Amino acid sequence: MKRVIMFMYMLVGFSTAWAQTKASDKEWAAVVDAAKKEGKVVVAGSPDPVMRNDVIPKFTARFGIPVEFVAGRSSQIVSRVQTERGSGIYSIDVYLAGPDTSANELYNDKLIDPLKPLIVMPEVADGSKWKTGKVWFADPQEQFIARAFSGVATWLFINTDHVKPEEVRHVKDLLNPKWRGKISTEDPTTTGAGANMAARLYYQVGEEYVKNLYVDQKTVRTRERRQMTDWLARGTQPICLNCREDDVRPLVKEGFKILEIFEISGVPSTINGSPWMLSLANKAPHPKAAQVFANWILSKEGLETYARGYGSATLRTDIDESFLNPGNVPKKGVKYFDDTEWKWIVTGRHENREKVWQVLKSK
Amino acid sequence: MKSPSATLSLPGFRLRLRPIRMAEVGFLVFLAVVMGLPLLFLLSGSFNLAAPGKPAIYGFGNWQRAFTDPGTLSALWMSFLLSVVRLIPAMILSVMFAWLIARTDMPGGRFIESACWIAYFVPDFPLVLAWILLLDPNFGFLNSLAKSLPFVEGPIFNPYGFWGIVWVHTSTGGIWFKVMLLVPVFRRLGATLEEAARVAGANTTAMLWRITLPVLSPMILAVAVLSFIRGLQSFNTELLLGTPVGIYVYSTKIYDYLQREPRAYGEATALGSVFLFVLAILLFFYWRYLSGNKKFTVVTGQGYSTLRVKLGRWRYAALAGCLIYVAVMMLLPLSFLVIGSFMRRYGFFNIASPFTLNHWYNLLADPIFLVALKNSLIIASVTAIGGILLYSALAYLLVSRRTITAPVLESLCWVPHVLPGILLSLGVLWLFLATPLRFFLYGTVWGIAFALILADSPVTTQAFKAGLLQLGADLEESARVSGASWAYAYRRILLPLLAPIAAAVGLMNFGSALTSISTPVLLYSHQSRPLAILLLEYSFTGELERAAALGLLITLIIGSMMLIARRLGLQLSRSD
Repeated sequence: MKRVIMFMYMLVGFSTAWAQTKASDKEWAAVVDAAKKEGKVVVAGSPDPVMRNDVIPKFTARFGIPVEFVAGRSSQIVSRVQTERGSGIYSIDVYLAGPDTSANELYNDKLIDPLKPLIVMPEVADGSKWKTGKVWFADPQEQFIARAFSGVATWLFINTDHVKPEEVRHVKDLLNPKWRGKISTEDPTTTGAGANMAARLYYQVGEEYVKNLYVDQKTVRTRERRQMTDWLARGTQPICLNCREDDVRPLVKEGFKILEIFEISGVPSTINGSPWMLSLANKAPHPKAAQVFANWILSKEGLETYARGYGSATLRTDIDESFLNPGNVPKKGVKYFDDTEWKWIVTGRHENREKVWQVLKSK
Repeated sequence: MKSPSATLSLPGFRLRLRPIRMAEVGFLVFLAVVMGLPLLFLLSGSFNLAAPGKPAIYGFGNWQRAFTDPGTLSALWMSFLLSVVRLIPAMILSVMFAWLIARTDMPGGRFIESACWIAYFVPDFPLVLAWILLLDPNFGFLNSLAKSLPFVEGPIFNPYGFWGIVWVHTSTGGIWFKVMLLVPVFRRLGATLEEAARVAGANTTAMLWRITLPVLSPMILAVAVLSFIRGLQSFNTELLLGTPVGIYVYSTKIYDYLQREPRAYGEATALGSVFLFVLAILLFFYWRYLSGNKKFTVVTGQGYSTLRVKLGRWRYAALAGCLIYVAVMMLLPLSFLVIGSFMRRYGFFNIASPFTLNHWYNLLADPIFLVALKNSLIIASVTAIGGILLYSALAYLLVSRRTITAPVLESLCWVPHVLPGILLSLGVLWLFLATPLRFFLYGTVWGIAFALILADSPVTTQAFKAGLLQLGADLEESARVSGASWAYAYRRILLPLLAPIAAAVGLMNFGSALTSISTPVLLYSHQSRPLAILLLEYSFTGELERAAALGLLITLIIGSMMLIARRLGLQLSRSD
């Protein structure tokens, strides 16, 4: 009798799931049809070769919907959008923006619509496909800003011709006088990766450490990421705090002895949502096409295309991660500092950045 | 002489509208709208303390924050110092170059002039990197060469620091821009005055000092003012060579505010207003100088001689000096840039098989490239022609001494030169969106060309103005007395005499339109993206080699245009 009841339960369960899948398939197909009628989708984001060379061609090939990619610095795109909106022009459908822009501008200025109710593509809506059990929305209402990536951030890069890995095991090893003038950083006195890292160090290690590292150690500053990467490769500044993975990885392929270090004693390792967070513009000119793009970019095909090009760990469970640097994939049971956590982005980072600027400007 | 006039009849009122007055009013309204309104938008915005998109709250908070920042004054002082230190030798050198090219029998003048044109349009970012490759104390090519000398211990060159910035600026923009503007007016100088000086016993130096420079002073001063303010706004070179050693300039502070999230346009505009203030002071003295009892006329209806000063045996020494300067300041870094575009990684000669054609192939295969090229050519052509038509007429009005609003017109003309490019772009964006212009200009190539024409107003107007000041009023008057209409006299007398200046500024504006990034950055759309924005995207994503290839291609386009212009007889500056 028990077996019969169990069988009946399973049958009902399967048929409900099957019916739901059928319904969501139908809903998705209807959205795609409507999107095709809209003719195009306008996506705003950072000028990104992966986006232009891989993601957009694949999306257009799959759905026949052309993508207009408005590429630029976040601050410029948001300025333009704000000004356009003041005159009743709504030109953008989808934003692929960094956490600061997403939280402090797009969300704060109410430029975006809830995305969660529009997640209908079956493989995206299916919670089992996500490491977090569902699509991760970073905003307090868990509706607007989807986070698709969560990788361990590189703590620093070293050129092993000049620096042995064991020489920089602890965060305080960077204060060794041997490295005075040998560490490069993106300029921490202006907004950007350099200031974000300094803010994190201020919060995690303290003011004295920030002063010692950025002032006493004569850390060499630049605002040009290429300059930092070249210094690292040539060994003139063999320790780089803010080089970008996508800039350094080609150098490793060329045979330069550069090591990416993800963990260092004395501070927790950091995870972040780089390279972008996803949101949908309100009053979008092509709402259905925007919905299709948003669903697809969160799908296995969309995210894997991006992750392979950029080299960052996604939150999907069905993407093979063997192409990633193992250090980039978060380990189970390890407590990380989340650099894309909402409260940190909205208040913590800002407050600590201001304190860093006070320290650096007073020296 | 009587000007043709139209009559406007209203009940009880008859107003005679002379064409010159109508043109004056037309220009005043046009400039007030296109130059004044964006400035007004920006200035009023700088007092708005509310967050973007929120109801306005007015106050002085943005200005207070901007000017109480501890680094602001030191950055302003550094910009001032760099600008002055660069300006003085660059002005001396460029006047010498222009004089040698245009007024003497030095051989190879046209080659030197062409080299200046090409040098000006080589993109500065990869060129600065080329100088780093040459001068870096650790790996610089010239330091490595120097180390092989027996008496040299350590590195003797270092681009990072104050003098490194001055040196590299002399190469990237330094004298090229000034020579381009000065040569046409130097060529216009007839030999009559110089011959008279010689007859009176003056030697070459005295003649240059007492005759040539004073007569050409309107353009020399205008170029100095333009260069000084441009120097204050300079940014890219300082970013690469100054930041690593803690040198920050004023424009860096403005840039910081523009990059903040949320954006701080109020603070940026407050800081930018310093440029307005500096310009106002400089213009005051410039106008006082021009409005004195001085005459700058060199072309009259009473004979004109274009004989050149004979340098004798010094002609080859002068050529050698110019060639050495061009070779060191232009060819040396340019050759590194050309090589860099063929390298797998710019400047890395020690990797396996360092050379590749991939960057050029990837550039030409980029589906956006051809569209961007077409857009850029349309934008640049419209900008060049539009600028010539508009500003030659405006300059004519300004020098005619028949306008009552000349100071206002001229001040409005200078506005684009004192606004940092991105703020000008924002102002124009507001202008488009707040007026019916948005329906046919916003997001189009025509809109970008329109903004670039506005941005070109100071240089173009001043060039035409200086050229017109050299022409005697008797040229036009004699034509009119002989029965020619104003339009006929303008077409047959003034225009041919202005053609060399028109060709020079037209080509300069064509080139600037191809390379300008900050003006179109807020105005382009997917369909109207120009090459310069593509260049920005490549640089932004670290594709420096592809950016170098694109930069060289743009330089090639400008070089080709220069040759075509010469073929068509539009001599950049010859009038003999």
